[in-house]
Amino acid sequence: MNVDYLMPYVPVAVLLGIALFLALLLPILSVSLGPKRPHFRKMQPYESGMTAVGKAQRRYPVKFYRVAVLFILFDIDIILIMPWAVALRDLGLFGLGAVMIFIAIFIIGDLWAWKKGLLEWD
Amino acid sequence: MEFQAPAINIAIILPVVIVAGFGLVLMILDMLMEDELRGLGPWISLGGLVLAGLQTIALWLGGSYETFIPVGGHPMVVVDGYAHFFNMLFIITGILAILMSMPYLIKADIDEKAEYYMLLMFSISGMMLMGMANDLLLIFIGLELLSIPLYVMCGIARPREASEESAMKYFLLGAFASGFLVFGLALLYGATGSTALPVVVENFTAGGVIAYTGLAMQLVGLAFKVGAVPFHMWTPDVYEGAPTAVTAFMSVGAKVGGFAAMIRILAEAVPQESAPIWTTAIAIIAAATLILGNVVAISQTNIKRMLAYSSIAHGGYILMAVAALPFSGDAVSASLTYMLTYMFTNLGAFAVIMMVEKSGNRGVLLEDYKGLSKRNLGMALILAYFMFSLIGMPLTGGFIGKFVVFQAAIDANLIWLTIIGVVTAAVSAYYYLRVVFYMFMFDGQGDLEFSPAMMTATTVALVATLAIGFFPGLWLNLARTASLASQLLMAGG
Amino acid sequence: MTNSIVLTLLMSLPLVGVVVILFLPVFNNQTDFNIKFVANATAIITLLFSIAILPLYDMGVPTLQLEDTGSWIDALGVTYHVGVDGLSILMILLTTFISAVAIGSSWNGIDKQVKQYYIFMLLLETGMLGVFLAQDLFLFYIFWEFTLVPMYFLIGIWGGKERVYASIKFFLYTMAGSLLMLIAILYVGIQAGTFNLPELIANRELYAGAQQWLFWGFAIAFAIKVPVFPFHSWLPDAHTQAPTAGSIVLAGVLLKMGTYGFMRFNLPMFPEASTNAAPIMATLAIIGIIYGAIVSFAQTDVKKLVAYSSISHLGFVMLGIFSLNEIGIQGAILQGVNHGLSTGALFFLVGVIYEQRHTREISEFGGLWRAMPVFAVTSLIVTLSSMGLPGLNGFVGEFSILLASTGSDALGDSPWIYTAFATSGVILAAIYLLKMYQGVFMGPLDNPKNQALRDMNRGELAIMLSFLLFIVWIGIAPSIWFASMDATVADLIQNVVMMAGG
Repeated sequence: MNVDYLMPYVPVAVLLGIALFLALLLPILSVSLGPKRPHFRKMQPYESGMTAVGKAQRRYPVKFYRVAVLFILFDIDIILIMPWAVALRDLGLFGLGAVMIFIAIFIIGDLWAWKKGLLEWD
Repeated sequence: MEFQAPAINIAIILPVVIVAGFGLVLMILDMLMEDELRGLGPWISLGGLVLAGLQTIALWLGGSYETFIPVGGHPMVVVDGYAHFFNMLFIITGILAILMSMPYLIKADIDEKAEYYMLLMFSISGMMLMGMANDLLLIFIGLELLSIPLYVMCGIARPREASEESAMKYFLLGAFASGFLVFGLALLYGATGSTALPVVVENFTAGGVIAYTGLAMQLVGLAFKVGAVPFHMWTPDVYEGAPTAVTAFMSVGAKVGGFAAMIRILAEAVPQESAPIWTTAIAIIAAATLILGNVVAISQTNIKRMLAYSSIAHGGYILMAVAALPFSGDAVSASLTYMLTYMFTNLGAFAVIMMVEKSGNRGVLLEDYKGLSKRNLGMALILAYFMFSLIGMPLTGGFIGKFVVFQAAIDANLIWLTIIGVVTAAVSAYYYLRVVFYMFMFDGQGDLEFSPAMMTATTVALVATLAIGFFPGLWLNLARTASLASQLLMAGG
Repeated sequence: MTNSIVLTLLMSLPLVGVVVILFLPVFNNQTDFNIKFVANATAIITLLFSIAILPLYDMGVPTLQLEDTGSWIDALGVTYHVGVDGLSILMILLTTFISAVAIGSSWNGIDKQVKQYYIFMLLLETGMLGVFLAQDLFLFYIFWEFTLVPMYFLIGIWGGKERVYASIKFFLYTMAGSLLMLIAILYVGIQAGTFNLPELIANRELYAGAQQWLFWGFAIAFAIKVPVFPFHSWLPDAHTQAPTAGSIVLAGVLLKMGTYGFMRFNLPMFPEASTNAAPIMATLAIIGIIYGAIVSFAQTDVKKLVAYSSISHLGFVMLGIFSLNEIGIQGAILQGVNHGLSTGALFFLVGVIYEQRHTREISEFGGLWRAMPVFAVTSLIVTLSSMGLPGLNGFVGEFSILLASTGSDALGDSPWIYTAFATSGVILAAIYLLKMYQGVFMGPLDNPKNQALRDMNRGELAIMLSFLLFIVWIGIAPSIWFASMDATVADLIQNVVMMAGG
């Protein structure tokens, strides 16, 4: 590997080094030098000034998960269709046919998910 | 750059297209006519598999070994004898699994019948892709297509906790394994500049350490799928918790699929000169797998869990043949033969086990087999025969499988591994025989319920195991013609 | 050759019986006359058939006779090849005889799952015949392993209290040994490109380099089956737990499969290794002779006593084989037959009394001479035969073996040491067998349970007389028996000595 190739990045590395040093130094200083007067209120997690409610590790509805999965599907859909769109003219009719088959399969899946009530919140 | 449409011969990948297509058809039908479909799902799937099977046979007989060449000039898919062999294996696995599932889903009160068969079809299409893939990317896609439906199928007996636990464990560890596979893929791509196996093998040596790391990662990912030690941890819990029909399907399909890809990668993507390095690793993994699988199986009291460990052990025997790959011209055909016999024997054994199982996940302990021979001598004898085949007693398919695998290992001069193989085979006799003596030598309430579909599956498996045991010539020749090109060269020269 | 089919026919005769029994309905699980009748008829027809083919066998020819060959698995180079020669002809007769006797002796003793019982007995007979007839290593291995399965069920279903333990111990022990043999078979097969035994012997230089290893691969499998001293621990359990017929077959034939294996495979295939290993094997044989005898003496259970005496007797056979001379091998084969007859008869006699008293403790008996005179007389003859009294069969075999060991070239400079130790085994045999006989038959008839014992019935007497016929015949006129194997053994020894010497 060519060393010269990396030279322009030296300032970045220096900056990173300084940042890391400071980021470690300041908390250490404040922990070691600062006075400690613990209090129940102070030990609470900070929630924008509100009193904390319940535990952090609580269960939340699987609905969010379903939405996330659907999102990923559409996301991948876009990732796969984008390159086709870029090379649209070159690929011609063949490309169109291929992408149509892909979209058709995808739509069947979407319709199925819709029918099964995956898109409904309640 | 002028784009040229690739030479696509859809006919040669038609089997996998048919299977996946029938999965889609099931999906559409599920949308349109939810309730009417319930009885229809398995029959449609069976139809699709039979159709795909016929197409595979037609291609095989036609000797159509053309390849599917996309952009870039290297075939993504190689439809050779090897691929045909695995396609048939997966199609038969699917057919038997569907036959077993029909009565089992009713017995186990599983409602999602349409989804079940749909997922099964998608999973089979993934397995078939793994058998014919000639590109690391396609192997990965095949693996995901194989696995993701299986994750869901494991948990389909919800709200049974064991089933949910099984799905979760399988999913998490499976995803972990996929991560390894992708990372290995990326490293290999980085080292060799391509994901196509023919290019990878050319540039492999130049890739140096990175290429080896990539290969190791790939092997780790696949070892998870086939349940090789030390990546076997998920197997017992998943096999025990999953609905038995899924366990049967998974213990054969997923394992054989993993091996299909593993053997193709090792034979075609790794140059001969690096053989000593990876064969040592595989041989050690094989030895560990054999020892752990067979020894831990002894202490099991749940028959599904016992068969889970047994399936780990059988993976070890296949790995023996894999370790012999660069040194013996018969290694691939030996592993193919072994997988063939393992498929029939294991599916047959699971079919009988499902008949003994009672609803609500009862009847899966060894205790429940006490005195089975008094009530059902025929089925007890059949299960005993499958157990003897799993041990590898002569005149069963299992013996032929073990025989050729040991032969390949000795041919490759892996005598120490062969000795471990036979000693653990003797150990395995103990826990398989335990099923036999619970059935024959104790009195008890062991009983089973017949169902026509299950009987059909059992009969098919039994006849095939008997046929391989008594007339192995035909099957060995079949496996030999299905061997990979590089192997055939070695066997000839 | 038109005669080529007879051996295949002989092997398949019991299978015909199996098929017939399979289709016989079970009327009554307790006493199903039809099944018993078919099984006995099959066994007797097989016995008669094996005698009927004797005129086809030419004693003067050393090589395989009545061969039947056919292609089987071309892909593996496996052929179907059966044949008989001087090493196996007596074993064939012993097998058909013992099987017929064993099946006949179970008429009253078996009261559950009658149908399965006779199916397993007949399958076992086919398996044993196959072991002695197969001339292809693959085929041999298949039959060898196959005999395990029926025996496993016979011990496990119809055996005594500890039957499950005994059956699984028997199975695992034997299987572990066989699998090591499988490795050796595979190695030989790969090196020579065939599994056909005559071809393998002709081309033994192809694998001669590894023969020291291969010898032990085969030897351990056979030694477990015999059993040779350190591998014997399965035998007492299997014998004591097996049903009477199982014990008869086990002692009568199955153990001979091990000694036969040494003669058929180890000696001709690995002559140098055999010569090298001869002192070790002979030493183990001697240890077996004395150990078996001492442990027998300590037994209080008659059946266990007979079981341990088997270890001692088989030690003689092993000593004969590894004397590596003509008279030794001949004596070993004949002693194998003798042991099959006398120990088979002893197990049968134990079975007769066990059926009535359901105990086998010597202390429970005493004075049976008075209650069952016929039984006592036949027992006496068999006991004397087992301890090697001149004029009965045991003497002929043991004498040839002792003679062979004194003149053996393979056992070093002073082979008489082996003879001296082995002879002490003969004396010990007299001690423990007479102690048993005395404890059971002599003395006062003071246990009230024994006073009502019935003597042997006609069927039992017929079986006993058929045993006695051969026991006396071999004892008085052994020459015809030696002649049957003379040519083959001479040929074998010539080969071994030539290879090992030159």
